[in-house]
Amino acid sequence: MQMPHPSQDIISQRETLAAGLRQIVGSEWVISDEVERKPYQCDGITAYMAMPLLVVLPASTEEVRAVLRFCHERGVKVVPRGSGTSLSGGALPLEDGILLVTSRLCSVVEVDAPNRVARVQPGVPNIAISEAVSHLGLCYMPDPSSQLISTIGGNVAENAGGVHCLKYGVTADHILGLQLVLMTGELLQLGGAFLGASEGELDLMGVLTGSEGLLGVVTEIAVRLEPVPEVARVISMSFPSVEKACECVGAIIGVGVIPAGLEFMDRKVLDAVSVLIRERFDDRTEALLLCELDGTAVEVDALVHVVSDVARAQGAIELKVSTTEEERQRIWSSRKLAFSAIGKLCPDYYCTDGTIPRNKLPEVLNTMAELSEKYGLDYANCFHAGDGNLHPIIMYDAAKPGDLEKAEAFGADVLIACVNVGGVLSGEHGIGVEKRDLMTHQFTDVDLHQQQMLKCAFDPQELLNPGKVFPTACRCAEFGRMHVRGGALRFADIPRF
Amino acid sequence: MTQIQQTQAREHPSSTQDVADIIMDAASAGHSLAITGNGTRCGFGNPVTASRAMALGGLDSVDFYDPEDLVIRVGAGLTLDALEAMLAAKGQYLPFEPPRYTGLYGTDGARSTVGGAVATALSGPRRILNGAVRDFVLGVEGVNGQGDIFKAGGRTMKNVTGYDLSKLLTGSCGTLAVLTAVTLKVLPAPRAEVTLIVPAQTLEEDAALFRTIRALPLGVGGLARRVSPSGQCEVLIRIEGTEPGVAGNRAVVEGLLQGREGARVVERTESAALWQDVRELTCLAPRADELVWRVNLPGTAMPAFVAEARRAGCISRFFVDWAGGIVFSTMRGVQPEVDVLRYRKMAEKIGAKAMLLRGPDAIRAQFGAFPPITAGLAALAGRTRAAFDPGGLLNPGRMTVQA
Ligand SMILES: Cc1cc2nc3c(=O)[nH]c(=O)nc-3n(C[C@H](O)[C@H](O)[C@H](O)COP(=O)(O)OP(=O)(O)OC[C@H]3O[C@@H](n4cnc5c(N)ncnc54)[C@H](O)[C@@H]3O)c2cc1C
Ligand SMILES: Cc1cc2nc3c(=O)[nH]c(=O)nc-3n(C[C@H](O)[C@H](O)[C@H](O)COP(=O)(O)OP(=O)(O)OC[C@H]3O[C@@H](n4cnc5c(N)ncnc54)[C@H](O)[C@@H]3O)c2cc1C
Repeated sequence: MQMPHPSQDIISQRETLAAGLRQIVGSEWVISDEVERKPYQCDGITAYMAMPLLVVLPASTEEVRAVLRFCHERGVKVVPRGSGTSLSGGALPLEDGILLVTSRLCSVVEVDAPNRVARVQPGVPNIAISEAVSHLGLCYMPDPSSQLISTIGGNVAENAGGVHCLKYGVTADHILGLQLVLMTGELLQLGGAFLGASEGELDLMGVLTGSEGLLGVVTEIAVRLEPVPEVARVISMSFPSVEKACECVGAIIGVGVIPAGLEFMDRKVLDAVSVLIRERFDDRTEALLLCELDGTAVEVDALVHVVSDVARAQGAIELKVSTTEEERQRIWSSRKLAFSAIGKLCPDYYCTDGTIPRNKLPEVLNTMAELSEKYGLDYANCFHAGDGNLHPIIMYDAAKPGDLEKAEAFGADVLIACVNVGGVLSGEHGIGVEKRDLMTHQFTDVDLHQQQMLKCAFDPQELLNPGKVFPTACRCAEFGRMHVRGGALRFADIPRF
Repeated sequence: MTQIQQTQAREHPSSTQDVADIIMDAASAGHSLAITGNGTRCGFGNPVTASRAMALGGLDSVDFYDPEDLVIRVGAGLTLDALEAMLAAKGQYLPFEPPRYTGLYGTDGARSTVGGAVATALSGPRRILNGAVRDFVLGVEGVNGQGDIFKAGGRTMKNVTGYDLSKLLTGSCGTLAVLTAVTLKVLPAPRAEVTLIVPAQTLEEDAALFRTIRALPLGVGGLARRVSPSGQCEVLIRIEGTEPGVAGNRAVVEGLLQGREGARVVERTESAALWQDVRELTCLAPRADELVWRVNLPGTAMPAFVAEARRAGCISRFFVDWAGGIVFSTMRGVQPEVDVLRYRKMAEKIGAKAMLLRGPDAIRAQFGAFPPITAGLAALAGRTRAAFDPGGLLNPGRMTVQA
């Protein structure tokens, strides 16, 4: 992975910079020791590693501002980091940049129950918000599988989704306001702490969500709280073929039901899981759908009937409906264990998250089977079927020379297949460094240029998280001087990283 | 209304390429452009001063509609009426319930376009249940102020592939780029809908009732308080979902109304008509010479805010939507210059956002229709605009107050 060339000049100033930053955040909150910096070398995707110049842990918005101002004045790059669970290398450090970690910005600032809003600092783990308001019958809806660890700041930066986003939407739909620090240290408030607080201004908050830490550092977030649904029930539906299961997904939505979650697992995943949960799945089963329905008891009962009828009409072999909360948890455990179960089958696996229009599921799943043969690597499928968000799990052995490269090429081909049927490279994990160089498959140079111009409005010196998301530097200064009409000539000579 | 300095023929592009050509011609001739759909909301935002105009009504294609995937892509010039009729035929709807504001602006609401709805980002009463316009714009195609045709977003429900420019363009009032096509997420329309109509009590009591109802997951897609055409002040509670779900939730809500006599219930079409009145602000019935305001604020702050504004003469008539989170009001100010600033100040004091939804051009030009923003935010917005439209060609002044 080619990253922007590290500046030896900056690297040589490590100790001076550390001393200056210690003045701001206190001496123990700047990590310069090599051994202590090691755990920060990578995020959730361990294939990419780099040693950060320094790790800095500010404890307040004011400290974040001062750190950024300090770095800006000295031309030092900054990579923001929450819990480091990014699966695309978004928080991959730079050798000539500081890693700004938000883990000490971890308080729930205010819970405004009557208006159903909480204001939280970015380092608060996702789950902690729901925990802080559960006694009020409220929750924070977006629930990425990483919710125990991943921070709300990281969720905002990646516009994280979750099992329940089919019905309740992704992070962006639940953010009412953001406090933002620009690279210069300037503090801005976008939106506020009530519905519609950002209306009548440019939706900078919307574009900041999902911007992978490239535009500013988020220091406070106002999130919507929702009442906890009264009941949730899950239907497990087994099908004799992958196609039948896929068709059933469309049929459920086609009759007007939006499940709270709709997950798909193929036979390989089921076999792996059944070892762990000591439960056998019917031999005829080639694919399983888990469909969760939530709301009030009567409502859910009615929906269970509708969905069961659809599933039967679509050729389901077997239906299991949870009647108690324990049963619901047990049925879900197969899905929750899926990734670790696969992990037991192979030394390493690689998972990406292209997203496609739902009706293209069978087509793309076929392509995957072909690619598996081409690369000679096994794979399994376990994904968010309701919103077409695929998570193919490609199995390989990092110890075998060439295997990692094959797995990466396999993953890239799957993503390109997603884009070719009208889908996108990433549904929830973001582009980071992992899919950066594939961006040109989804976007034209003009599209990418328009996105990158935004960087120039926020961080024209490109000091914040450079080398991520876009395959080229944005070269704000030069764009300002170019006046070629129509876009055709503007980009011809821009070197890729 | 849009002011065109030199009277020029309005351009009517019929393709994205036409739009790009018109912009490039304007750019090379040093002209600015007023962008409209069919012009039904020209009274929204600040008046535009431009030397040429372009109307997008001709871009009315339906590129695809995939009901099973809950997604549709249409040209920006397609009318909302046409779009909603197409969705209704499949039992689906636009979850953000876009208002037309026909009555408000004295225009022909049947001609309101999708592009206009996305560019102004006004959401109707269902916002409290379903979300805002921005939450349903999956992708856009647009042309920036240099004539570059670009796309952003996509057609899938989840997407973190590059910056979400679709959100940025939503609500940008045509000041960043001309929208030529939008891809929207749609939802199945609820199978059943009832509205409980309950006599109002004091604003505090009604605001408390809103909070009680909103604290429970009851599928309430509308909570408003208005004066009915016959002069009754009443609270409206819309419950939607499946037939049995609505029946069950209705019983729960009725249980929460203990001690409030005289509730009645209306169903489907009657209920729909009622909410159309709310959505379109018909119940405010503003007189031609009145200013119309839209104030977003925390629901808990609403009763005191309204009381103070009434005392100060800044509100003559009002109604409340979004479970108390939005106050629509009329202002009859003898001296709007004084009252506009006073009302804004009152809103600012509690962090509320006061938008002048309707008023004479001169007043919107002088004070700005949108809530004031800090200098830092204005500067960032300015740099953002320059990233799309460095020459300031598109809808100059629409979202900024020109000193
Ligand atoms: C087991 C596992 C399961 C997962 N499941 C899901 C899932 O279901 N859905 C999903 O969407 N994702 C999932 N992820 C991915 C990951 O958890 C999310 O992307 C999460 O949002 C990252 O949060 P984080 O705090 O770990 O951020 P980090 O990994 O530390 O950072 C992610 C990005 O955010 C930026 N950033 C962090 N904090 C800030 C800030 N305050 N201001 C500005 N930028 C900031 C970083 O620079 C980086 O680009 C999963 C990951 C793992 C390991
Ligand atoms: C219970 C009630 C509810 C009303 N709700 C609305 C409404 O939602 N929208 C609207 O445009 N007009 C409403 N009105 C009518 C509005 O108050 C008349 O426009 C007003 O009475 C005549 O104007 P005024 O400024 O001279 O009256 P005022 O002297 O301001 O008020 C007359 C009396 O009505 C009470 N009152 C005024 N407004 C309200 C209110 N919103 N809630 C509770 N009490 C109020 C005052 O306390 C006073 O006792 C309401 C009136 C009453 C009595």
